[in-house]
Amino acid sequence: MNGGVIKYERDNIDTDVIIPGPYLKIHDYNELAKHAMEGLDKDFHSKVKEGDFIVAGRNFGCGSSREHAPIALAYSGIKAVLALSFARIFYRNAVDGAFLLPIEIDENTYNNISDKDSLEIDTEKNEIKNLTKNQTYKMKPFSDLIGKIIAAGGLFNYKP
Amino acid sequence: MPKTLFEKIWDSHVVVEQKNGPTLLYVDRHLIHEVTSPQAFDGLRMNKRNVRRPDLTFATMDHNVPTSDRSLPIIDQISAKQIQVLEKNCKEFDIQLFDINSPNQGIVHVISPELGITLPGTTIVCGDSHTSTHGAFGALAFGIGTSDVEHVLATQCIWMEKPKTFEIKIEGKRKNNRAVTAKDIILSIIRQIGTSGGRGTVIEYSGETISELTMEQRMTICNMSIEGGARAGLIAPDEKTFAYLKGRKYTPKNYDELVDFWFENLKSDPGAHFDKTFTLNVGTIAPQVSWGTNPAMTTDVTSIVPFPDEYAKGNQDEEKAAIRALQYMDLKPGMQITDISIDRVFIGSCTNSRLEDLIEVSNIVKGKKVSSKVRAMIVPGSQLVKKQAEELGLDKIFKEANFEWRESGCSMCLGMNPDILAAGERCASTSNRNFEGRQGAGGRTHLVSPVMAAAAALAGHFVDVRELDLN
Repeated sequence: MNGGVIKYERDNIDTDVIIPGPYLKIHDYNELAKHAMEGLDKDFHSKVKEGDFIVAGRNFGCGSSREHAPIALAYSGIKAVLALSFARIFYRNAVDGAFLLPIEIDENTYNNISDKDSLEIDTEKNEIKNLTKNQTYKMKPFSDLIGKIIAAGGLFNYKP
Repeated sequence: MPKTLFEKIWDSHVVVEQKNGPTLLYVDRHLIHEVTSPQAFDGLRMNKRNVRRPDLTFATMDHNVPTSDRSLPIIDQISAKQIQVLEKNCKEFDIQLFDINSPNQGIVHVISPELGITLPGTTIVCGDSHTSTHGAFGALAFGIGTSDVEHVLATQCIWMEKPKTFEIKIEGKRKNNRAVTAKDIILSIIRQIGTSGGRGTVIEYSGETISELTMEQRMTICNMSIEGGARAGLIAPDEKTFAYLKGRKYTPKNYDELVDFWFENLKSDPGAHFDKTFTLNVGTIAPQVSWGTNPAMTTDVTSIVPFPDEYAKGNQDEEKAAIRALQYMDLKPGMQITDISIDRVFIGSCTNSRLEDLIEVSNIVKGKKVSSKVRAMIVPGSQLVKKQAEELGLDKIFKEANFEWRESGCSMCLGMNPDILAAGERCASTSNRNFEGRQGAGGRTHLVSPVMAAAAALAGHFVDVRELDLN
């Protein structure tokens, strides 16, 4: 996976700012995507490109169980969110619906990655290459269950 | 080996367990609502799957229903459609639905206990994060997303990684337990453990204070477990739990036998190991008011809006977050919490909309008037709560005090129905989340208990309810 970085230097980015409540009535995912991150960054929709990554702080995706949150990001083009930690329901939603990869990174990696950097992510080697800065970081490997659901392409294709 | 309550419920629901791998867990009760279920039903149809146990699946509409006159049509066509889709899905798959005209309609986490669908020792899931509420009855209950809703509809099972365990002991005696409520206890806990303090865990609340709390109060505490990042909250069932559920609509016929079994089995063994522990002494806690944009950004009503550097104690990320929060909330550090004026009051939500909450509110507002600067609404959690409140004459007390008395639903907790804040409006709210824009774009939320919200409605600003005569 190759893409640019949209970085938000904050913790507790909640699902209400990722996709505000009024839009939960929208069933068309492309329409939903137009409102992704609207509660935090009104320019997100105009700047996001297919294949981009979001980089953020702790407890990303806290709050509501709305699967609309990873869906809105995925249909905006986001392939992975790299965060210091994730709220559990968002994490499972992202993986179970095969919408995007929730990747846990450490403080050092978080501090080294800047907005607009280009990254290459290799989930087999658990490696993140920063092409802009010519650095390589380790990502936290997925657990057994999560790795298998991702490999299967979502919960419904997963067989133990 | 001694086991925790969580481990006992978990172990008794394992369908498939793999060494070092995930567990397939059986689901006893699946609650669904109009917002997180439509795509799940579409998925079933697309793959020609059926609902495995419609008899264990219960539906209602709560998130986007208007709380105004139910005899009028729903103006928002997209909401109306979402509600019709749920009706169609429940009919097609033979699922019990408490629709908008049902006397049992209400917020999913209010109606399930009051109908006796929630039972001790069961596993309960729902496409809603506040499913943790049902843990008050000793049920292992957690929120899931729509993909998992589809999986549970199709299989009645869910793939899980075993959560860790977290014991929170609540000890001590409150000096004034009408003024310092369950809401103040859970806000105090979140304030101390943080919004991700419970991440990856199931919290078991224990201690002398917990056994003194009513079921309604226990629900308020378990409800907000998710705001501390936990998967679920749990309280061991006791005489109060068994008395609450007796004779409810869906309580099983062999209830007394079940009570004997629950009483024997549903508690953590002495010496059981918890991965994490925390103790709160309630002896000194004050009524709480949130000042920021997450539930951990909370302080005592007698305190001031914090200075970001003092609040952050050297953590730069926390300091930046506090500065941003104060900017959004339009508050100045150092100002007294009791000097914060409010425009709106919302008493409702799955956290605080049950009969007991409304009785406490009525004691404060009886014979008084809402401040002329404030618009205040009371939204009962269910139609049953509404009926019971009206039988006690609470509706008259509320209306005479100039509160709006509404039909049940999630209402202004989450800004996806007509009840929303306008940009810049400041609200004292008994709900669970003070996130930016949660109650409406640009709206400012202060989380408080029902009595604190009621007193703020009368005064037009926050007041310390310990100074009022509550008896």
